[in-house]
Amino acid sequence: MIKCVIWDLDHTLLAGVYLEDEHPACDPLLARVLGELASRGILQAIASKNPPEAAAYAARLLGHRFAAVRCDWAAKSAAIGSILAELGLQPQEAAFVDDDAMERAEVSFTLPDVVVLEPRDVAEAASWPQFSPPVITDEARRRGELYLQRRARHEEAKAFGGSVAEFLRYSGTAVRIAPAGPADLARLHELSVRTHQFNSSGVEVTAEDFAKLLSAKDQRVITVRLSDKFGDDGIVGGCVLATARWRMPLLMMSCRALGRGVIDALLAWACRAARDAGASQLVVPCVINSRNVPLRVALTGAGFRASSETGDSGGMKTPRTADYIRLLDQPLPELPEWVTW
Amino acid sequence: MGDLVTREQVEGGIREILGELTGHPLPPGLPPDTPLLRGGVGLDSLGATLMLTRVRDRFGVDVADEDLNLDSLASIGTLAAFVADRLISGPAQ
Repeated sequence: MIKCVIWDLDHTLLAGVYLEDEHPACDPLLARVLGELASRGILQAIASKNPPEAAAYAARLLGHRFAAVRCDWAAKSAAIGSILAELGLQPQEAAFVDDDAMERAEVSFTLPDVVVLEPRDVAEAASWPQFSPPVITDEARRRGELYLQRRARHEEAKAFGGSVAEFLRYSGTAVRIAPAGPADLARLHELSVRTHQFNSSGVEVTAEDFAKLLSAKDQRVITVRLSDKFGDDGIVGGCVLATARWRMPLLMMSCRALGRGVIDALLAWACRAARDAGASQLVVPCVINSRNVPLRVALTGAGFRASSETGDSGGMKTPRTADYIRLLDQPLPELPEWVTW
Repeated sequence: MGDLVTREQVEGGIREILGELTGHPLPPGLPPDTPLLRGGVGLDSLGATLMLTRVRDRFGVDVADEDLNLDSLASIGTLAAFVADRLISGPAQ
């Protein structure tokens, strides 16, 4: 799924050359496509060989606040790499639009996973499935805004003298853990599709499947909401708890919550919930792949240990899975006072 | 990776990768027991993922796949030892 479109300016978003033409207009067709893609929750960014004022000019013209901007004379692949790093995205989650065949070739060669498009193909591409998320949640609609808040948070955190924990407190971080309701199912489904670094099962779960879990005895579907003084991120994560044996068959968290103590809070809460119910351990089955290292770092940081590989050894296609077990007779990880449930 | 590689060479390679990822070379005297995450070298967990990808590309050892508990991420030295052990004994069958 494409999560970000990175635009060139001259003869692409702008119907002219910023440094040569006086006040070039924007390309009306591309402006419409940009607005449409943004409304689907796809981030918009600029990579242009121009001074930074060119991006500010285009943003004013289009009435759009871009999630990331690179205006310099470096290779376009370098600009795109840096934008992806800033937004926490993978190359295959980005599309790049440029009228210049040399620029497109350079990006295709250096970043072969990026979808590279000519301006005239963009309108059609917008109807391709990878540009069309099946459901558009409230979180998706506000995604561009959330990235801007993230940048403000990041700037302030860099200037902040204290520890991460102190910054989280200072910025008014609030995590709310709650049982999911019917209105949350679309967002939970979206998280199951969009999360990779923090996803324990790697399996897409439909809204219908979540709905069945809501009414199942011994199953709890949990949402995690996050906000701070920079903005309200809405639902950033969730989990499914099978309370008969205290297993967590699904744990997922948006990258947006990275470094904000949210996954640690959810794990600490789940350990307490299990212990208070009399369980001696909590088990999180987790696929083993190279993308979910952050999730496994969080699990082991919360005192979980991988005990056994449970993956089916039959076919190569079956993902490897291991049970991560937390014994609950040992001191549990801390639950900060800004976590409520 | 035809020739045998020493643990020192692996550690040197890991230090180079860390320098690339953090944007500045590691101080030469930085002790091997410096933690990789948070307080020490200061990688976050996404940085750790990138590092393991580069270690895999460079040494052919997939730490993310083989070290379920990621204990090797404790420090520069533990990661170097994990990779060097695999290079010398070959991948586990």
